[in-house]
Amino acid sequence: MSTTRKLIEALRERLGQADPLPSPPAIPRIQAPPTRVFPTARTRSCYAEQAAAHTAAILGIGHVGTRYATDVVLQFQAELAVAHDAVHTVLPDDWAQSQGLLPLKSRVEDHHQFLLRPDLGRRLDEESLERLRGNAIQDVDIQPILADGLSAVATMGSGIRLLETFSNECRFRGWTVGTPMCAKYARVWLQDEIGETVGARVACILLGERPGLGTGDGLSAYMVYEPRMGKTDSDRNMISNIHARGIVPELAGRQLAMMAGAMLDQKTSGVSLDLSGLTAELGQAASGGYREPQRRVRLVETDR
Amino acid sequence: MILEAIPPTILSVRRIHAAHESVLRSYGADPSKHTSLGLVTCDQDDSTYVALDEATKHAPIDVVFARSFYAGANHASGRLSGEILGVIAGPDPDTVEEGLMALVRCLEHDACFYSADDGATIAVFPHVITSLGYYLSEEAGLQPGDSMAYLVAPPIEATIAFDAAMKAADVRLVRAFTPPTQTNYAAAWLTGILTECQAAAEAYAEAVVEVARRPWDFR
Repeated sequence: MSTTRKLIEALRERLGQADPLPSPPAIPRIQAPPTRVFPTARTRSCYAEQAAAHTAAILGIGHVGTRYATDVVLQFQAELAVAHDAVHTVLPDDWAQSQGLLPLKSRVEDHHQFLLRPDLGRRLDEESLERLRGNAIQDVDIQPILADGLSAVATMGSGIRLLETFSNECRFRGWTVGTPMCAKYARVWLQDEIGETVGARVACILLGERPGLGTGDGLSAYMVYEPRMGKTDSDRNMISNIHARGIVPELAGRQLAMMAGAMLDQKTSGVSLDLSGLTAELGQAASGGYREPQRRVRLVETDR
Repeated sequence: MILEAIPPTILSVRRIHAAHESVLRSYGADPSKHTSLGLVTCDQDDSTYVALDEATKHAPIDVVFARSFYAGANHASGRLSGEILGVIAGPDPDTVEEGLMALVRCLEHDACFYSADDGATIAVFPHVITSLGYYLSEEAGLQPGDSMAYLVAPPIEATIAFDAAMKAADVRLVRAFTPPTQTNYAAAWLTGILTECQAAAEAYAEAVVEVARRPWDFR
């Protein structure tokens, strides 16, 4: 009831009009906003629909006036929050030990510095270097390294599963596998120093990849033959999108082992490594061709 | 029966989705930011001014045109003319629609005149706006969010009641509309804190009823 109506009613009673006023018309319920996410028939475009089938990007979401629909905004914010959370998560200091891994750390002092100084993330600090020399098995075929990278969430999520699958696949193929270890504040190139120190023929670092919208739990694996300081990205092979909605860790572990096999056979890695014989097994990792789009997982449930 | 609501009748609500530049300019809109117009006619001008202001609180629209017609709804130029034409303008049809929804809701459920005597031959508009929108706040030179008593009655009643309202509450005069206005009513806009505005409006309505009952206090 409006302010004015209430006031007039009171005044009316005071002036001797005891009979109540006829009740005012009820204010109708304001309709809830439409919950539709994807465009209505009016704004749906077949171009956007086709484009959306090829990417996990938020395409073909329509509009309400000049704005996004509310649930699209919520979806975006929720996905962005997942990415932010993943970037800001720090691997706990005792996590590596609790998982039975050899704990290592780069020269980075804190998380802030880690994000701003990639160069420090590519070198081991003195303490870790000594621990590596003293405790790790030397002269191995394969040295797997688990690391936090840009998403500690991913590392703590499926890192162990990927590490074990990969190590087991390598042992099954008769190669010697190095001490399982976990590096904190690590960048990809840290595998060069670690691999060189333990004298590994192939080093493979498994680390959390840069989070994107809605994907904070993705791991990437980078592998290099004869790891030496000074190797560049053209010397590495990698598999990305290792998570439940992309390549599952079990499959990725096997693919990585096949890739390692190719490196040991051809004694090289990176651009000069020929993976054409493994296209069937490795799928998209072996070729630069068409990639299946990822399935977009909706964080905000809506009726469609 | 006194102080019964006299609900406004909305005579027409129309939209122009993409108005011609000449129309936009003529009605005070700015073609660089306004595209669509929403038009309303109603048989109560003051209720409509309040409703137009209400609309600015619900959608990013501008009230570009709002004028009362001479001599009021009883002497209208046609059955759809009423007493006022209000025009809101927005950047797109959806925004204007949102504004019109708020406007119509306010006219149907909030702003209205009240009868000051039996038979409703005298009407009073003792309306309290709890929180001003962007339109009336600019017209009144107040801030959006301020409270304002929007008080209207016929000339003699309005004059007596204006005095009563000013004396009854701690309010400040914002603008006085002495008779004759276009509709031959008289009005006063008073501001103060909400409870004082309410007290002023109540005193105003009471004074109008009193004058209606006793038009002569002489001889």
